[in-house]
Amino acid sequence: MLLRCIKAENLKLKHSIIWSACIFIPIIPAVMGTFNYLNNVGLLTEGWYSLWTQFTLFYSWLFYAPLIALYCSYLWRLEHLNSNWNVLMTAPVPVRDVFLGKLAVIFRVTLFTQVWVFILYVICGKLCGLPGAAPLDTVLWMLRGTLAAAAIGTMQLLLSMVIRSFAVPIGIALAGSILGFLFMNKGWELYWPYSLMMAGMNSNKSEDALGGNLIPFLVSVAVFFAVFAGAAVMWLRKKDVKA
Amino acid sequence: MENIITTDSLTKRYGKKYVVKNLDLCVPTGSIYGFLGPNGAGKSTTMKMLLGLAKPTGGEIRIFGVPVEEKNRLKILKHTGSLIESPAHYGHLSGRENLQIICTLKGIPESEIDSVLKTVRMENQQDKKVKNYSLGMKQRLGLAAALLGRPRLLLLDEPTNGLDPAGIQEMRELICSLPERFGMTVLVSSHLLSEIDQMATHVGIINQGELLFQDSLESLHRHSRVRMRIRTTDDGRAYRLLSRAALPVRQDTQTGEVMLDSAEDDKVLRSGRLLAEHDIGLLRLEECQVSLEDIFLKLTGKKVSL
Repeated sequence: MLLRCIKAENLKLKHSIIWSACIFIPIIPAVMGTFNYLNNVGLLTEGWYSLWTQFTLFYSWLFYAPLIALYCSYLWRLEHLNSNWNVLMTAPVPVRDVFLGKLAVIFRVTLFTQVWVFILYVICGKLCGLPGAAPLDTVLWMLRGTLAAAAIGTMQLLLSMVIRSFAVPIGIALAGSILGFLFMNKGWELYWPYSLMMAGMNSNKSEDALGGNLIPFLVSVAVFFAVFAGAAVMWLRKKDVKA
Repeated sequence: MENIITTDSLTKRYGKKYVVKNLDLCVPTGSIYGFLGPNGAGKSTTMKMLLGLAKPTGGEIRIFGVPVEEKNRLKILKHTGSLIESPAHYGHLSGRENLQIICTLKGIPESEIDSVLKTVRMENQQDKKVKNYSLGMKQRLGLAAALLGRPRLLLLDEPTNGLDPAGIQEMRELICSLPERFGMTVLVSSHLLSEIDQMATHVGIINQGELLFQDSLESLHRHSRVRMRIRTTDDGRAYRLLSRAALPVRQDTQTGEVMLDSAEDDKVLRSGRLLAEHDIGLLRLEECQVSLEDIFLKLTGKKVSL
């Protein structure tokens, strides 16, 4: 049944704007980060690692979570419009799969975004004249950052489901990310989903923010995922559908 | 199974306001059940509760003989098609792509799409984006979606809303053909009595959340038989006299008008004779037809658009 839901969600994304958002929006932080790097190249002496700090500073601080929020808002907007809630909730599939099906699509688009961001990172590195290939560490950080989307994606999907506005959940994601920066600086990154993602991405750091200790990070991601997904399914089961 | 849907004191309350109150619906299998009531009477809410879209605050629903609850949800939905409120659609997709989504969710082969499109006569518009459809086309697409998978039960909420007269006629014919062609039972709501009169085999009339009448359409029509209005020189005496003689008479408490609830020759004859024998002068003897509209009005106390 989950597969059916995922397939149905994929069909809904045909001719949709979500893909252009996924392509064009990450170019903004890439350009910002690269310029910042080039302007401070005297101070930033660690090559690929330094570029990473600047690149992810803007991306994970201002763009990553709001971008996921945008995907989530878009996906739910399709249902909020034109009474589609009625059809969605009378389809012979468990409500759990309705939510998880959407989540799977969010992950897919997020994964696509992350791959694209990494490609941009490599392109920008090469344009800046950095020698050799991007270090393997950055691939790992990228993967960890993608994993953290399990927490953010689930939370944003829940928010966009409950809040019918398109923009408000994105605003929450932006505020959450900015706050996440504070949590990160306090060392509380595992307790706040938005900073979890920054920690995963190793944003603005050239040394591993998690100190190579992946387990607490994974536990935190899993807990956030379970709590938000659980809340979403409960909400779907209990609430009357308003189309 | 005699009844495909039964509800037992089904109730929906928001705060102190009852939207649906102690509703006992009985929808016979194979019927076209016309669910009739003015706007805001609780029709949509009832249908949403049947589908599990809204949770009842009281009472019980049984569909296909099983209670509507979480563990039976999929089993019921699998055999139920519905068109609730305005027709649902994804505007950026074509009609066909919209139906593909439903097929995928219902787990049925896409080959069924052609046949439902043909049923609603939409083959030629299937590749147009739905946002460019007229309301009538969206409505028909919604019906096509509901028909996918050949459900045993079809719930249609005001399916002729927004259709032009030709479209209304077409939709009506289509709905009427469903029980015979596909063995479906149809529950169709409307605020138009004439519409239900032309489609339904059974009728439920709801007003302010309460069921006022429920039976076959024939039985509703039996209410609409001809009556005789009698005016005499002394209506009060005439009424007492005729009712003592066990004739089916009523006297309107406000106007004092005497009404004989029958137009059978022998009853009219006897009434006339009795009046003459007792020296009550007969001034008028009028035949009047009680229309369904009058019954509806009497039951709901509301003027309705017809």
